Amino acid sequence: MPNDDERTGAPEGERLEDDARAEQADADEQERLIQRRRFLQASVGVTVALTVTGLSALTVTGSLKPIAKITPQQEPPASGDLLVHAEDQTKVVQVSDVQKDTKQILCYPKNPKTGVVKSGTDNNLVLLSRFDASQLGPDTAPHAAEGVVGYSAVCTHLCCTVSDWDSKNGWFLCPCHHSQFNPREDGKVMAGPAPRPLPLLPLAYSNGQLTVAGGFLTSIGCS
Amino acid sequence: MGKWLDERLALSRLYKKFFRKMFPVHHSFFLGEITLFSFVILVLTGIFLSINFEPSIRLVQVGAKKLPAAYASVQFIDSLPFGQVIRSMHHWAASVFIAAAFLHMIRILLTGAYKKPREVNWIIGLLLLSFAVVAAFTGYSLPFDAFSATATKVGYEIAASIPVIGTWLAQLFFGGTFPTEHSIPRLTAIHMIWLPLIIGMLIGAHVLIMFLQKHTQPKYAEKIAPGKILGVPFWPQQALIMGVLFAVLVAILALVAGLFNANPIEHFGPPGPSTPNVKPDWYFLWLFGFLKMIPSAWKFTVFGVFVGPEFIGVLIPTLLILFGFVFPLLQPSKRKLRYVELPSQHPVRTATVIAVLSFFIAATLAAYKNGLGLSTGVLWLIVLGGPLVVGFLSYAVLRAIYPAPEPAQAPPEADASPGD
Repeated sequence: MPNDDERTGAPEGERLEDDARAEQADADEQERLIQRRRFLQASVGVTVALTVTGLSALTVTGSLKPIAKITPQQEPPASGDLLVHAEDQTKVVQVSDVQKDTKQILCYPKNPKTGVVKSGTDNNLVLLSRFDASQLGPDTAPHAAEGVVGYSAVCTHLCCTVSDWDSKNGWFLCPCHHSQFNPREDGKVMAGPAPRPLPLLPLAYSNGQLTVAGGFLTSIGCS
Repeated sequence: MGKWLDERLALSRLYKKFFRKMFPVHHSFFLGEITLFSFVILVLTGIFLSINFEPSIRLVQVGAKKLPAAYASVQFIDSLPFGQVIRSMHHWAASVFIAAAFLHMIRILLTGAYKKPREVNWIIGLLLLSFAVVAAFTGYSLPFDAFSATATKVGYEIAASIPVIGTWLAQLFFGGTFPTEHSIPRLTAIHMIWLPLIIGMLIGAHVLIMFLQKHTQPKYAEKIAPGKILGVPFWPQQALIMGVLFAVLVAILALVAGLFNANPIEHFGPPGPSTPNVKPDWYFLWLFGFLKMIPSAWKFTVFGVFVGPEFIGVLIPTLLILFGFVFPLLQPSKRKLRYVELPSQHPVRTATVIAVLSFFIAATLAAYKNGLGLSTGVLWLIVLGGPLVVGFLSYAVLRAIYPAPEPAQAPPEADASPGD
C-alpha cells in the first residue's frame, strides 16, 4: 500500500521537510528584504525624478509670466511732478488749459528734474477737471488746486480709460461699460458697475504752475 | 494608378468603411458641415494673414509716423491685392463658424441627439464652441489698433478678476499685464498654432465619432424603413452636395467681405491714451450686457479674497456653460437613441431651449443699456423674467398645437377613450 510506504519513511521525510521549511523561510526572508530594498530604491528614484521634473516644470511655467520691470517712464506720479498733455507730451498743462465744467483732459506726470514723461504705463494717466471751489466736496477740496482736480484715469471696473464726459450730470463717463464718477465728490461711483471710486491725485499750485502734490490717495487699477 | 495605390494603401477598404457612410437628408443636418467649411476657410485665409503679419508692438517708422509693428503689418496686408477682402473674409468666417456651431448645437438640443450614446460628442462639440470663442477673442487682439487693444485689455482684466489665481493666469496667457512686449507674440502663438491645432484635432474626433456612431435617423426613416439606415452615401452624392455648399459659402463670404470691411484699423488708429467707444462682436454681447448690468454693490471679501462685480459678471455665464457640459450625463438611459426626437413631442425641452435662447437675446439687449435708456432694475426683470414668460408661453402654445402624445407609444385602450 502506498500509505504504509510513506509511513515507514516518515522520520527521514519529516526531517527533510523541516530543513526545507527552514530554508524556504530563509529564502522568503531574503526575498522580502530584497523586495523591500528594491522598493526603497525605486521610491528614492521616483522621488528624485519627480522632484527634478517638477522643479523644472515649475521653473519653465514660472518664466512664462514675465518679470515686471519698472522703468523711469513707469514710475508713479510723485510730489513736484509737472503734468503734460497725453496727446502732446511736449506741452505742460497750465491751469488755464483746464476749462471749467467741461470734458476732462488726459495727461501724464513728468519728472521735472530728469525731464522724463511718465507715459510708460496707462496707470499713470491722469484726468484733470476744473470746477468752482464752492462745488467741491469737503474731501475733494483740500486736494484741488485753483479748482482743478486730478484723478486716476483707470476705471476701477475693468481698467478702461475713463475718457468720456457725461455733460448732462457733469460726471466722468467710462466708454467701456458706462460707469460714471463724480469728480466733485472724490470720484464717487454714481452709476454703472465700477466697484470703487476713482483714486484722487492731490494737486498743488505754486509760482503760477500746476504740480502734483503727492501720489494717488488710493490704489489704482481695477478689481 | 488607382490599383497601384489600392494594393499598397487598401483604399477600397477605406471606401467601404467610410465613403459609403449614409447621410440623412434634412436641411438642418447641414449646420455642422457649414461649421466645418468655415473652419477650412478660416485656415486658408489665416495662412495668408499669418505669413504677412508681424507679431510685435515695437514701434516702427511708417512714413512720418511711428506705429506698432503689428498695426503696420495689418496696414501692409490691407495694401496687398485682395488683402483687405481676405482679412474681412477671415473675420466673417469666424462669425459664421460660431453662429453655425451654435445653431448646430440648438438642433442637437431640440432633437435630443445629445442623448446616449452621443454624450461624448456633445461634450466635444461644446469644447469646440468654447475654443472657437477663445480663438475669435485672441484673433481680435492681433491688429493692435485702439479698438483691439481696448477689447483685449477688458478681456485681460476679466481673466484677472478671477479670485486667487486670476492675475497669475491672466499674466501667463497675455504675457504680463496687457499690453507688454510679450503680449502680442504670445497671443499670436495661441491664435495661430495652438488653438487651430486643438480645434482641428477636436473636429477630427467629432467627425470620426459621428462616423462610428452614425447620425441620428430622421423621424420619417422610422416609418418608411424601420431598422434600416436611410440617407445618401458620402461618395459621390453627399460629397457633391458638400462641394456645392462649400463653394456657395466661399462665394457668400467673399461678397460680404467685399461689401463690409471688417475691423478697419485706420478708423480707430493705433492705441492712444483715450479709450474708443467699443462694443465687442455679437457673440460676446450677452457677456458684455451682463458686465453692464451688475451693480457696483455686488462685491464681497471671503477669507481676504476680493470678489468684485466684474467676476460675478462672468461667473453666471460660466456656470451656465459648465451646466451645458454635464447635463446629458444627468439623464441616464438604458436604450440608445436611434431616431431624432421631434421638438413638437417634447414640449418641455423645446420650451426650455426657447427660454434659454431668449435669455441670450435679453442679455444681448442689456449691452445696449444706455441706448435703450432702461434702468438696471428693468433690465434684470427682462433678462430673468423674460425667458420665464417666453418659456411658459412656448410650452402652452406647443401643448395647444400638439395636444396628443405620440400615437405609436399610446396603449391600444387609449385609442378608444373619448378624451384622447
